[in-house]
Amino acid sequence: MSNNRVTGRLLTAAAVAALAAGTLSACGSSAGSSSDGGKEASSMYTWISNENDRAQWQAFVDAAKKKDPAFNLTLEGPSFNDYWTKVKTRLSSSGAPCIITTQAARAQELKDLTVPLDDMVKSNNVDVSMYNKAMIDGLTVDGSLRGIPYDAEPVVLYYNKDLLSAAGVKEPTLNYTTAQFTSDLKALTKGGVTGLAVPPGFGAGPGLPLAFANGNEPVKDGKLDLTNQGLVQDQQFAFDLAAKEKVATAPQASDGSDVPEQQFMSGKAAMIIDGPWMYDTLTTKTQGKVGIAVIPSTSGQGIGMIQGSAFAIAASCKDKETAFKNIMKITTPEVVGAVGAARGTVPSVESAIKDWAGNKPAADVAVVEALLKSGRPLVTTPTWNQVETNFTQYSGDGFRGTKSAQDILSTIANSAK
Amino acid sequence: MTALPTLAVKNAKKPARVTGHGKLAAVYLAPGMLGFLIFIVVPLVASLVISLFDWPLFGTPKFVGLENYTRMLTGDPVFWTVLGNTLFFAVSYTVLNLVLALAVSTWLHTLGSWGPFFRVLFFIPVVTPMVANALVWRLMLTDDGVVNSFLATFGIHGPSWLSNSQLAMGSLIAMSLWQGIGYNIIVLGAGLNGISPNLLEAARIDGAGAWQRFFRVVLPMLSPSLFFCTVMTIIGSFKVFTQPYLLTLGGPGESTNTIVLYLYRNGFSFDKLGYASALAWALFVIVMLITALQFSQQKRLVNYDN
Repeated sequence: MSNNRVTGRLLTAAAVAALAAGTLSACGSSAGSSSDGGKEASSMYTWISNENDRAQWQAFVDAAKKKDPAFNLTLEGPSFNDYWTKVKTRLSSSGAPCIITTQAARAQELKDLTVPLDDMVKSNNVDVSMYNKAMIDGLTVDGSLRGIPYDAEPVVLYYNKDLLSAAGVKEPTLNYTTAQFTSDLKALTKGGVTGLAVPPGFGAGPGLPLAFANGNEPVKDGKLDLTNQGLVQDQQFAFDLAAKEKVATAPQASDGSDVPEQQFMSGKAAMIIDGPWMYDTLTTKTQGKVGIAVIPSTSGQGIGMIQGSAFAIAASCKDKETAFKNIMKITTPEVVGAVGAARGTVPSVESAIKDWAGNKPAADVAVVEALLKSGRPLVTTPTWNQVETNFTQYSGDGFRGTKSAQDILSTIANSAK
Repeated sequence: MTALPTLAVKNAKKPARVTGHGKLAAVYLAPGMLGFLIFIVVPLVASLVISLFDWPLFGTPKFVGLENYTRMLTGDPVFWTVLGNTLFFAVSYTVLNLVLALAVSTWLHTLGSWGPFFRVLFFIPVVTPMVANALVWRLMLTDDGVVNSFLATFGIHGPSWLSNSQLAMGSLIAMSLWQGIGYNIIVLGAGLNGISPNLLEAARIDGAGAWQRFFRVVLPMLSPSLFFCTVMTIIGSFKVFTQPYLLTLGGPGESTNTIVLYLYRNGFSFDKLGYASALAWALFVIVMLITALQFSQQKRLVNYDN
């Protein structure tokens, strides 16, 4: 009898606990969902790595509020590195935000997560021709537009003016040949200073921007084209800067982009190839004055490699029309210009470039404008993550001369088919 | 004589009471079993199901049958490379770990009151986060890191510890040993404390030297602890992930890519959850077979006599 009584008490306790758990989970699920999808249309899933990121997204909201004081966006999201994985799982769950951020270089990878915007662009009379053409091309997947760009960032060459002056090297500007570049790097490499700081990545590191400058791209007709001779030669040129010419320090696979940026900022490297999103950081925190130039090319008239981000609508969104209208509120020339002025992103609209330019040196603005005009988008494939990961793994061999660019790019092309 | 069947009948009714205890036992067991079911059995079955699909993180899964397994075994050269790397790591790490842990714990056993102090020192890396340890080792082993700077003071140009394919795996093993050896030192130390001093004294009186006492008395008496350490170390070493993920990213080339790092990337970077699940099952089967092999030899190799 006593056993039965104990059992009964235990079962009752278990039932109460289960009921409590059920009630709590029910509360959770009701809080995360809405029947009309209105809340989700004003929510954005994006990368928020730190307070700087949050401030950037808030700058969009604040700028849009000037025209529509009632406008607001709810923000949520993980760090930039985690974003590309977590956006897929977040959009698979209920109550997912309607607006997501994407990039021209990721548009192919995220195509199943986003909806084509062409019909909404037409019905809302949006003139997409005001946006940077390269970005629009990069965000067009299978003939349909997947995002409205808010920035267009051509990769540039940063140089330390003081170190160049000390080495007697003339500052590069809008015309810079690879022959001159190599010669300058050799002159700059002395006394504990290397000519160029290089990261181990593919898109971030000197090979791909140099290939772009010569008109060699990694994707052709929607497929990986990593072994085209132009790209292989330009990547080998980048490897040789460290392996043969010894004008750059070979990076470790785990370095990321922060290690070479630190080398440049501390005056241990005279040049670095990086995006304009680093302009404020590199110009204010580097020991010495900093200028920017076009990416070197064989002819000297390099083609820009444009990367940039955009707002897109999640395929799971119930109220796509409202979400689209919200996106258009944060991508007007006024808003992208205001964000460019406040946060340093290069606006995707040409007429707003002047807001970004602000008090920047005219020569630097001219470099970005020239690269924006000539630039091509970095278009990738759905397997690009694998390309980047594998390249980082193998780049140590390339920069140390133990494997050729042909070997490395062939291996990657075979594994990331 | 007639009483026996009656007793048997009475006893036969007892299981009814046992059933009552069974319900109580089931209630007590339920939380644990529920956790086991939810966190072990369901994911295990789910991963087996997922391994039969081309399953992206977002989108509709497509049934592909055994294609992921076929690709793994016949169409993906990287799988055999990472499997070889993992085996090399597991064997090297386990052997070195056990030999060093045994040597250190034996030495600490002779230190008297200083023994516990050093035991704590060796155990500190075990309880510090692996990520922090890996970052410290990264600072030490980079081309211009602490180790090469130290070598440079003697005029030696240090090698690329993390970017030379001949040295990178050795660097990972060294870091892992530093991180993991303390656990086995504690376990083996406890085993050594359990050996009766009378046995060693008797051996000494019988004329056994130090090496004979170690190999003929200490090692057999320590075999249960050694067996436990071997099983746990091998299982842990097959799951190596953080060290290559943080120190080398699997490079240079594929030289430090391990099976868990490879399956993680397939699942969460390359968007191939189905293939990652097939890799996870391959790892599960390998670890299970090796553990089964170890347990099959337990009676022959392990001495449980006091």
